[in-house]
Amino acid sequence: MASDTASGDKGSGPNESTETDNSMFECNICLDSARDAVVSMCGHLFCWQCLHQWLETRPNRQTCPVCKAGISKDKVVPIYGRGSTDQKDPREKLPPRPQGQRAEPEAQGGFPGFGFGDGGFHMSFGIGAFPFGIFASTFNFNDGRPGPPPAGSAQHQEEQVLSKFFLWVAVIFIIWLLLA
Amino acid sequence: MTHYDFEVTGSKVARCHIKVDMVNDNFLELIGEIIGPPDTAYDGGKFKLEINIPDTYPFNPPKVKFVTKIWHPNISSVTGAICLDILKDQWAAAMTLRTVLLSLQALLAAAEPDDPQDAVVAKQYKENRKTFTQTARHWTNVYANGPHRECELEKILEQAKNMGFDEHKARVALSSSDWNLERATESLLTS
Ligand SMILES: [Zn+2]
Ligand SMILES: [Zn+2]
Repeated sequence: MASDTASGDKGSGPNESTETDNSMFECNICLDSARDAVVSMCGHLFCWQCLHQWLETRPNRQTCPVCKAGISKDKVVPIYGRGSTDQKDPREKLPPRPQGQRAEPEAQGGFPGFGFGDGGFHMSFGIGAFPFGIFASTFNFNDGRPGPPPAGSAQHQEEQVLSKFFLWVAVIFIIWLLLA
Repeated sequence: MTHYDFEVTGSKVARCHIKVDMVNDNFLELIGEIIGPPDTAYDGGKFKLEINIPDTYPFNPPKVKFVTKIWHPNISSVTGAICLDILKDQWAAAMTLRTVLLSLQALLAAAEPDDPQDAVVAKQYKENRKTFTQTARHWTNVYANGPHRECELEKILEQAKNMGFDEHKARVALSSSDWNLERATESLLTS
């Protein structure tokens, strides 16, 4: 028969403040220092095992055991203290503690990797599926394909001539269509 | 096992007039005690509770019932069964035996007659509050060692006892019939 009204091995500590300091980092469920600690969005600390078991016990009412705020497995943050290697008991067949989410630092400056490059933007005319796609125009961004031949080269002039020739053919064809 | 070992200790508990004892070195069977809150019909009474800790504690609530007979809308006057949300679906794993006992104390101070455990008591609480308070105080005095006697009720009870009825049965019958001796005798004879 143990009567523990005001005495107890833990509660009767000479300085209550020390106890309060330690209990700051105690799991709210097992009241021991939190192992594989996680903290809920509402700020309450638990062992991952304890919280997981609580959420399993009440699958349709997922609330914080302390403040009854809504809670979910995916929205708890693990706490990694210094020197706390993962001491997870392998016998516990629990899903692993959720990973910490690492946000990328915000990018500084303009928009690297997004631009028109050097003259990679050009328009070309061509005759597609005759006669409906006569003026099929395409926008080409410089995305690794060879750019247009440099102005002034023989190939460039040839292309110019061809381009003009086809343009005229197209115009004549349209006029013929309209008059006929 | 550390959970309730720790939770019921500490000086705060003594100040709140609640305590928990073990029944034969067994952590799963406990006896709790709460003192009736002042300025209520339960003032000064010592109410014993039977507490059973399930294997799944603290993920499931402890099973608690009153051992001491009590007249309260949310507690069965026959079995001592308690109707309290935190002992059912509102239980949370962070709650402790301390929370439970303090909640029970709060329940004694503020009954919830719309969610009754004992329909007869709840009806009296709603329709005849003065009689309810007297009855609750009388029960506290008789069963929980409360300091306040209800002489008026004791006289009526004495009459019933003189008719040859068992004291407790007579008390239940009288309490349930708003201390109308005629109605109480009738129910005692028919039962
Ligand atoms: Zn824990
Ligand atoms: Zn919380």
